Amino acid sequence: MKTTLILGATLIFLASTSQAQHHHNMHDMHSHEGHMHEQMVDGKALEVDVERFDNFVSDIPGDKIAVVSVQGMVCDFCARGIEKSFGKNNQISKIDVDLASGKVLLGFQSDAEIDQAYIEKQILNNGLNTTAIQVLGD
Amino acid sequence: MGGHTLMAYSNAQADKIYWHYTPNIKYSLGIDYQEDKITEQSFASARFTYLLHRKNTATSQRNLYLKSGVGLNDSDNHFYGLAGDWETRRLFVGFSAQQQSGQGYDLFEQTFKLGVAPYLGDYGDLHTWLMIETKKNDFDDRRTTYPVLRLFKGGALVEIGYHKKTDWDVHLMYRF
Ligand SMILES: [Cu+2]
Repeated sequence: MKTTLILGATLIFLASTSQAQHHHNMHDMHSHEGHMHEQMVDGKALEVDVERFDNFVSDIPGDKIAVVSVQGMVCDFCARGIEKSFGKNNQISKIDVDLASGKVLLGFQSDAEIDQAYIEKQILNNGLNTTAIQVLGD
Repeated sequence: MGGHTLMAYSNAQADKIYWHYTPNIKYSLGIDYQEDKITEQSFASARFTYLLHRKNTATSQRNLYLKSGVGLNDSDNHFYGLAGDWETRRLFVGFSAQQQSGQGYDLFEQTFKLGVAPYLGDYGDLHTWLMIETKKNDFDDRRTTYPVLRLFKGGALVEIGYHKKTDWDVHLMYRF
């Protein structure tokens, strides 16, 4: 059984390695359009990784962006759960989970109504807590 | 949201395959099949895990779980216990205390695990944890302490521990 387990481990690893590759391609794109990140309408500074944010908005011009601050997001299982939850919403054009800053970036189609309670509920369903939601391009 | 987890364990006590479904974060229901190496019996159990407590902060998560299982054909095979963890992206601390019974034996086991991530990967990267685990049960009343390597990527997690007396301790987990 041990040999089977070790073999199984190797297979699962190889499978997941090829699967997760697309994350990196996303970060490779560089664009500095859409400098919405410096200051919010309410005067609050937006605390995101600027380069990451620029990459995020570069291929969804005109979309609304929700920047969600999340507590308890410590590992990839959390990140995967969040992606899965928001992935079901067809008004959401793009999702990025940044573990380092504890932020989830959500791109919404320009005609979408951004419902903060909906966002908080998805985060809570994953066992995590929302501390702030900032909406840009509304 | 709901999710499936497939796990396999192999250590000095048992070989086990375990599947569970988590309808929401509060609990999970599952089934396992194991070869108990103490009694040399093979049997299936129903499993129930309940999240008693979770505390999230900007950089950490803390959990306390109640775990239980009972043999489908013979309720003499059963266990219950508490497990807890506290983790950041860099550090991991975990413990468990478990009372386990099989045909003609009772076993109380405590474990404690400490881990550190030597580098912080982004979501989707390969995450590596260097850990040390210590186990003590009242069966042979001996404490065993051994290093554990945890590799984590995508939905897959592998833990491999080695101790010269109890040999390999392998744990696989896949979430989908
Ligand atoms: Cu997590």
